[in-house]
Amino acid sequence: MRNRYIFLLLTCKILFGQISITGSLKPTGMFRLSDQSRMDLPFRLTELKLGYTMGDFDFMLNSAVEHRWGENMSAIDLREAYVIWFPNWGEVKFGKQIHAWGVADGNNPTDNLNAYDYYFMFLPGTDRKVGSLSAAMTVYWDDWQLEGVIIPDHIPNRMPFHEPDFPFQIPIEPSKYEKIDNSLEFGLRLKTTFGESDIGLSYFNGRDRSFSLLGVDTFNIIMISPKFGYRATTVFGLNMVTFIDDITIRAEAGYFTTENNYQESWFQFFETKAEYVQYVIQCEYRTASSFTIGAQLIGNHVLNAVGQTFDLATMGQTTLNTDNFTPGLGTPFAMIAEQSLSIVGSKTLFDESLELNYNLLINLDEKGQMIGVSAEYSFVENWFIDGSVSYFEGDGNPQNRFEQLEDFSHFQLQLAYRF
Amino acid sequence: MIRKILTLIILSSIVYPQDGIAIAKLVDERKVPQDIVSKTTMLLTNSKGKTRTSTILSKSMNNGSKQILWFLNPADDKGVAFLKIEHDDKADEMRMWLPAFKKVRRIASSKKGDSFMGSDLSYEDMTNRALDENTYKRLDDDTIDSKACFVLEVVPNAEIKSTYSKHITWIEKETLMAIREESYDLGGNLRKKKIFLFESLSGYNVISNIFVEDIQKNHSTKLTMGDIKVDSGLDESLFQEKNLKRLPRN
Repeated sequence: MRNRYIFLLLTCKILFGQISITGSLKPTGMFRLSDQSRMDLPFRLTELKLGYTMGDFDFMLNSAVEHRWGENMSAIDLREAYVIWFPNWGEVKFGKQIHAWGVADGNNPTDNLNAYDYYFMFLPGTDRKVGSLSAAMTVYWDDWQLEGVIIPDHIPNRMPFHEPDFPFQIPIEPSKYEKIDNSLEFGLRLKTTFGESDIGLSYFNGRDRSFSLLGVDTFNIIMISPKFGYRATTVFGLNMVTFIDDITIRAEAGYFTTENNYQESWFQFFETKAEYVQYVIQCEYRTASSFTIGAQLIGNHVLNAVGQTFDLATMGQTTLNTDNFTPGLGTPFAMIAEQSLSIVGSKTLFDESLELNYNLLINLDEKGQMIGVSAEYSFVENWFIDGSVSYFEGDGNPQNRFEQLEDFSHFQLQLAYRF
Repeated sequence: MIRKILTLIILSSIVYPQDGIAIAKLVDERKVPQDIVSKTTMLLTNSKGKTRTSTILSKSMNNGSKQILWFLNPADDKGVAFLKIEHDDKADEMRMWLPAFKKVRRIASSKKGDSFMGSDLSYEDMTNRALDENTYKRLDDDTIDSKACFVLEVVPNAEIKSTYSKHITWIEKETLMAIREESYDLGGNLRKKKIFLFESLSGYNVISNIFVEDIQKNHSTKLTMGDIKVDSGLDESLFQEKNLKRLPRN
């Protein structure tokens, strides 16, 4: 009798919950500008987001089917599966999830809780992130918010190895990564409002998301074994949103300290200690005719780097300095150029049926730029046609990042149904 | 007898005040619900007759000075939420929850002329008009749909940087509810025509329909408030950022 009662109660609870289903179906084709050949990179063919609300709890599921035209292969990706509890004082989240820190619209140096999916680097928002098992708690009181996140396992960036159509070729695919003794990562964030401004402080303690060469060991005199892994990195972040007349300013900066703290006695152990700063300053303005323009100044400055590293040119050990140090955490765009300027604009027309966007990314260090334009038109409710062109231009120097991207210049066509 | 005459004079001066500010004060002091909850359908119609419909759950209190909205439809807007808190001593706060970005985005309250979610309503149209931020002039009375109306010319003071040069508002004398309004751009040209319908609910007059026509863009927005509930006991704590992230169950 008691079991029946419990079953009845549970059934009622489930029935009286609220289900939310959203998603999209969006076949996409990507073609080179140079010869109109199709680029064989994966894209998300379908996305499905399920939400179930019961009392103070929300259960969230976010999945996608990743498809590749070349091999006509699909794979299901469970991107997020988590539960949120909404007590009066805040929220508690647990499960595989994507966190979004930072105040700027992308390229956030303080948003380091999740790894990046390099296959989807050019998608906006959380679409470019990889979910990780984590627990988060946010407490709200008056104008203050305090959030704490714990991530028990380190999740690295998803890197595209052996992908001829990907713009950057990664020279080495490590066969294994060195084991991390303590892979627990955590972050804290405090946010408040002062007058017309929002100000936030953050702290992250974890490991790089991109791998580094940590040392070299030897099997014998002629066989060497490179050791790859993820450096320990901490990030102190500061962010702010404020308004100057009709201009909105969103700014954030991260101060990174990183070191190779593996306790190993390899043949060569590359001691590494470095400090660097990444920042993004975003200004946005909306004209009277609802045309939105924005600019982002994105920067990455290595303040100090000491230790050893491996020089691919000489195939030997060399001294680490601010020029040959590569950050393993932070916004990937800050790693393309030391300082770059991104200018974006958007305009909606015909009752938001047509959305036009443009973006221009200029490398301020050396010659190089990316020009992108896109148009999305909704011809029937929930159906969209999307077309975009991205053009990269370097300076003829093969070492120039934008030069390496030139062959990645492409146009993309997409038909989307959103529900 | 003298007392009766005096009472009559006082009453008539209340019912038929002489100047614009007195009428505006009466409108401002009108009995309003502590809070209002409604499910609103927003129908946008462009110059070619093409329409777009959104459904919004709205909760407000203190005569709309605190408002939270959740978009329920269409699919690409579902989950987007908007919070507005008006302050007397500092700039108003406006925040939007963008589920695709998992971020609450603070937006500028100074851009009053921006369209609210593509509609013909600007953020300024959605904000209460403070008595001391406008100048009120009474024009000749008028009759709209057999309803006797006061007609006020409302001119925003320069310091509030309004996107309008003036409004002409028709206020029904019996209920002190605005039923028509014309808003003029800074060049003095007619920009918007607004029609308000209201219904009586629990002793209050509550707006149930708003029709806004942007004359210059030949575009219109119709808001139909359904499932209206008043004085349902909303708590101040509802109007917080954390509540943007979750569609309420009712």
